[in-house]
Amino acid sequence: MTPSEPVTTESIDRLCALAALPVPAERRRGLALMFADLVAAANELSRKMADARHRAIVPIVRFPER
Amino acid sequence: MTDTNLVNLTIREAAAQIERSALSPVELTDAMLQRIAHVDKTLNAYITVCGEQAREVALAAEKMIRAGYHLSPLHGIPIAIKDNIYTRGVRTTAGSKILADFVPQEDATVTARLKRAGAVIIGKTNLHEFAWGGTTDNPHYGTCRNPWNPERFPAGSSGGSGAAVAARTCLGALGTDTGGSIRLPSSVNGIVGIRPTIGRVSNHNVVPLAWTMDTVSPMARTVEDCVLMFEIIAGHDPLDDHSALAPVPDYRGELGRGLRGLRVGLIRDYSLSHVQPAVGDTIRAALKTLESLGVEIEEVAMSSIQGNISAQLTIESCEPSTYHQEWLRTRATDYGDDVRTLLELGEMYLATHYLQAQRYRSVLRKEFVDGFKRVDVFVTPTLPFTATPCGATKVVIENNREEDMLSAIMQFTGVPSLAGLPALSVPVGFDAAGLPVGMQVIGRPFDEATLFRLGHAYQHATDWHMRAPSL
Repeated sequence: MTPSEPVTTESIDRLCALAALPVPAERRRGLALMFADLVAAANELSRKMADARHRAIVPIVRFPER
Repeated sequence: MTDTNLVNLTIREAAAQIERSALSPVELTDAMLQRIAHVDKTLNAYITVCGEQAREVALAAEKMIRAGYHLSPLHGIPIAIKDNIYTRGVRTTAGSKILADFVPQEDATVTARLKRAGAVIIGKTNLHEFAWGGTTDNPHYGTCRNPWNPERFPAGSSGGSGAAVAARTCLGALGTDTGGSIRLPSSVNGIVGIRPTIGRVSNHNVVPLAWTMDTVSPMARTVEDCVLMFEIIAGHDPLDDHSALAPVPDYRGELGRGLRGLRVGLIRDYSLSHVQPAVGDTIRAALKTLESLGVEIEEVAMSSIQGNISAQLTIESCEPSTYHQEWLRTRATDYGDDVRTLLELGEMYLATHYLQAQRYRSVLRKEFVDGFKRVDVFVTPTLPFTATPCGATKVVIENNREEDMLSAIMQFTGVPSLAGLPALSVPVGFDAAGLPVGMQVIGRPFDEATLFRLGHAYQHATDWHMRAPSL
């Protein structure tokens, strides 16, 4: 899969196989439609965060002040 | 005192009477239990009502207080607890079929602290299943309803706690807040709720949703009542690895300091953007009230704020799906369809999606930290809309365009969750249909005191919080 490919039922099939997640076939079309929007937004955020100006940013794992 | 008068007492008012033995905790608890019997058939705010246990604790409180031992302002006060927070010996379902028969052998730390303070645990409140949703439309325990209009939702996931407090069936309640689950029901039920700084309150023995965003905190009709509860539950817990070491300040002592010179920030193209007209008008009126109390309002730009919905959905999908991995494979059909779908989707993101979302949080947090050099708090509406009909999955905010409920509901509450900041929701008015509007106030890390001070001063100048639904 690449970011330019649409999310299809086959995409969900492959993801479920990789995750060993037994999602019934009748649910996969709906998941594909929802995940298409979600992954597009996630990819857009990833693209922004991959920018060189953010190279030094580390993920929030634990907030510094305790 | 009549039962109507009793259920309309605040924690502060009841505490003062109980301390001088002018009010019996037994009488107060009985009034609450009768109120629950009267209204909860309609509202479905409770999963478990702890009638006999509550009466026993209330009687013990009465005896102790008459003997001269008054433990705290919460001694003898009926408090409800969201049903994803452990209560020893009382089933804790997390609103799920999967945990329908789970009876914890330990309290959550917050439960234990309330009990040590003498609170009367009156019941366990309804929630969106496993706290993963914002409507409290629960397929296993029934749809929770809004006391201001039972055809409308109470929001969620702490919808049961929000409805229970607003309906005067308890004097305060605990909720949990990951992406807004205390603030959202506080707003639509016309009550006060605080999301604390991450680590300020222990999460020990609370069923998790998203580990890096989960918090536990009070909901009550007044800011002062929230403070009375917050002071009891806040503070380091050695049983919670993420519990903060920062000392707990004297929140009550700070309440009366006034607001003169306090700087309030509005985020450009965000704080008052994309809201229903009634919400916008109500928030602007609230800001005028704050200005009359001496605050200074300033606009602040935050360029990174637009990515927040995707980051929140990514993190709030991946983390719960990780927690639920086994059940999703062995008991998938025991979930409600909406939660099952979200959990399945959470398994499909890439690791890089999740980590980029966590990196985004650092960028967002830094913008807020920079912003706090210019202002003391930021203000937004808590939600861009008022309570929608029960069962709705879409909402219209502006331009007659339907939007997905889940992303619309977290428009404002997700931001402090991502940035790890405390945020208070306080009632600031009603729309033309009589549905409450809430204002969100976002503060610096561990500066809940300023949020409480602002909310308290606002409530002294207004009376929205004194209105009651006509159930």
